Amino acid sequence: MILIGENIHVISKDISVALKERNTQVIQDLTRQQTEAGVDYIDINLGPARKNPEETMAWIVNTVQEVTHLPLCLDTMNPVAMGAGLKICKNRPLLNSASGKTDSREQMLPLAKEHNTDVVISVITDEGCPPDMESRTESIMETVAYANEMGIPNEDIWVDPIILPVSADQTQVKHDLEFIQNLNDLLPGVKSTVGLSNISNGTPEELRPILNRTLLVMLQRCGLYSAIVDSFDEEMKALVQGKLPNITDLIHRSMDGEDIALDGLSQQERDYAKTAKVLLGDILYSHAWLED
Amino acid sequence: MEYKAPIESYGGTVRELALGKEGHSIQLGGDTILPLHFFDEGSLPNPPKFALEIWDMEPTNWAESVKEPYKEVLNDPVKWAQKCVELGADAVCLRLVSTDPAEKNSSADDAAALAKKVMDAINVPLIVSGSGDETKDVEVLTKVAEACDGGRILMGPALKENYEAIGKAAMDHGHSLIAQSPLDINLLKELNIKLGKFFPLERVVIDPMVSGLGYGMEYGFTITERVKQIGIIHKDAMTQMPILADVSEECWKTKEAKASKEQGLMWEGVTAVSLLLAGANLLILRHPETLKLVKDTLKS
Ligand code: B12
Ligand code: SF4
Repeated sequence: MILIGENIHVISKDISVALKERNTQVIQDLTRQQTEAGVDYIDINLGPARKNPEETMAWIVNTVQEVTHLPLCLDTMNPVAMGAGLKICKNRPLLNSASGKTDSREQMLPLAKEHNTDVVISVITDEGCPPDMESRTESIMETVAYANEMGIPNEDIWVDPIILPVSADQTQVKHDLEFIQNLNDLLPGVKSTVGLSNISNGTPEELRPILNRTLLVMLQRCGLYSAIVDSFDEEMKALVQGKLPNITDLIHRSMDGEDIALDGLSQQERDYAKTAKVLLGDILYSHAWLED
Repeated sequence: MEYKAPIESYGGTVRELALGKEGHSIQLGGDTILPLHFFDEGSLPNPPKFALEIWDMEPTNWAESVKEPYKEVLNDPVKWAQKCVELGADAVCLRLVSTDPAEKNSSADDAAALAKKVMDAINVPLIVSGSGDETKDVEVLTKVAEACDGGRILMGPALKENYEAIGKAAMDHGHSLIAQSPLDINLLKELNIKLGKFFPLERVVIDPMVSGLGYGMEYGFTITERVKQIGIIHKDAMTQMPILADVSEECWKTKEAKASKEQGLMWEGVTAVSLLLAGANLLILRHPETLKLVKDTLKS
């Protein structure tokens, strides 16, 4: 599993202040820590990057590259900032992200072609996020075909099914799993990725990690290639590296429809078994699902 | 080929709950079928019940058409409650509007004394509804619970902010509790889980805060429907409680209901019947003619 470290993100207060003050130290410390934590890419998320897009992106890309050998994943909706960043990447970067939206087709995909990068393409269209498997499949087939025509091969494309918060729409997790499972039959050679932590958006802070981790194990089983994750979640890394086989086994059995008996399980195992049930839609979500 | 209608059989049961003093009690819940799906396997042992509401002060903002049937008793809650019983109510809901700090801020002791007096004057169960002020309600409902000890009233609302105190008062005096959450099934379940840690869940009624026709009724409808389905089909123990549809104020505050008597009755009636179809077990109504209309509809 390729892990993309999400921690350099403008929504984080520290990062947005560091950006404004051009504080090299903060950005480089976080880059070093993520590199040491063993992720494969460093994500740089600038959001809409409205002010000085070119200069801001160039500054942060250079600042990060000074202290890491890892490739970068550039994450901004602003094509001007995106172009400025891609131009100066030392390693082949990942453009995050393009989609089926008209402006994305017209502005982002050409950047991927021009700079010969890998590119994340999500299922989003001008109408928003398609609600079910069929419409997501239809959307991604169309956008990937469009990218192929531009000369971007499947091998350079990382498909993103868009994870929505479980607290807002519980039923979508099953669709996501099915989507990832079928992806390589539909579009041979494409890779895949997800913004993992969005599953727990809206969930109380201390309960977020277990949702993220459980979902990642499920997606991994379905063949997910990569994920954008918290670089410092050690338990998550242990799980995807197969170091907690008892937990992985519980989650896999839940996916196979087994109704796991909780008696005799450790507290940690119980929590994972309950979380798996919530994600699979077998029990109704509430913030108190672990106490259920 | 002959068509055979499928017959479904589910595994979940809504908890059964008794309100009121021995001999004058009613039962809620016990459903093992979806709302009015009498063609499936299972039953609805206790048909939906209907309460009429009274206030602890003379209402100022009610439409003439809904004041009319109560015009002689509007300033006397005890007589008003008796009138409701005469008019066929299965229960009476006393709203402690005047205790609201933003209203008259009347005292908890007065409220408790009134609740007790009303309870003793009627031979149907009493529902006591606080003003909704989350701090004042704790004080008021604690006193009410004490004064009505032994009367098995239904009291609330218990919110996520004050369920511990109000739940404790209800528990200590043998009453049932209205667990209220703002139109969100996930929060609704969370509140029940938290209550379940110390409060007997067989004494909880869910209030999803439905709204009136034209003002978001479909939201309340969906939640009511899903709570019922998740309890009965998916057997989620945390949603297997009787559901309240508190429609009276939500309907009668609309300009459409206030416009004419006929329209008001329809507004309240259509809202009530819709929520019955969604799965409500207990409804609180305002106009006695709506009560009759809805009961007749249900019978037919
Ligand atoms: C009922 C309803 C609600 C109920 C949901 C009750 C529940 N959890 O059971 C309540 C009142 C809580 C609600 C709240 C909100 N809703 Co709403 N809701 C609806 C409504 C009227 C019907 C959906 C429905 O039940 N369909 C039938 C059932 C059987 O299908 P279902 O798959 O089980 O429906 C689920 C999903 O739709 C989901 N859901 C409900 N709202 C939202 C909002 C978002 C952003 C998401 C991802 C999912 C979601 O919850 C439903 C029940 O589980 C739709 C309008 C419509 N006609 O579709 C709007 C609608 C889905 N809601 C909307 C919005 C914006 C919201 C809020 C974000 C409003 C706010 N600012 O707080 C909140 C989000 C709350 C949350 N945590 O999900 C928008 C979504 C727009 C968009 N595409 O982003 C819609 C389309 C209405 C609109 N046009 O404004 N909603
Ligand atoms: S079902 Fe009713 S409310 Fe929903 S879209 Fe159709 S007409 Fe409108």
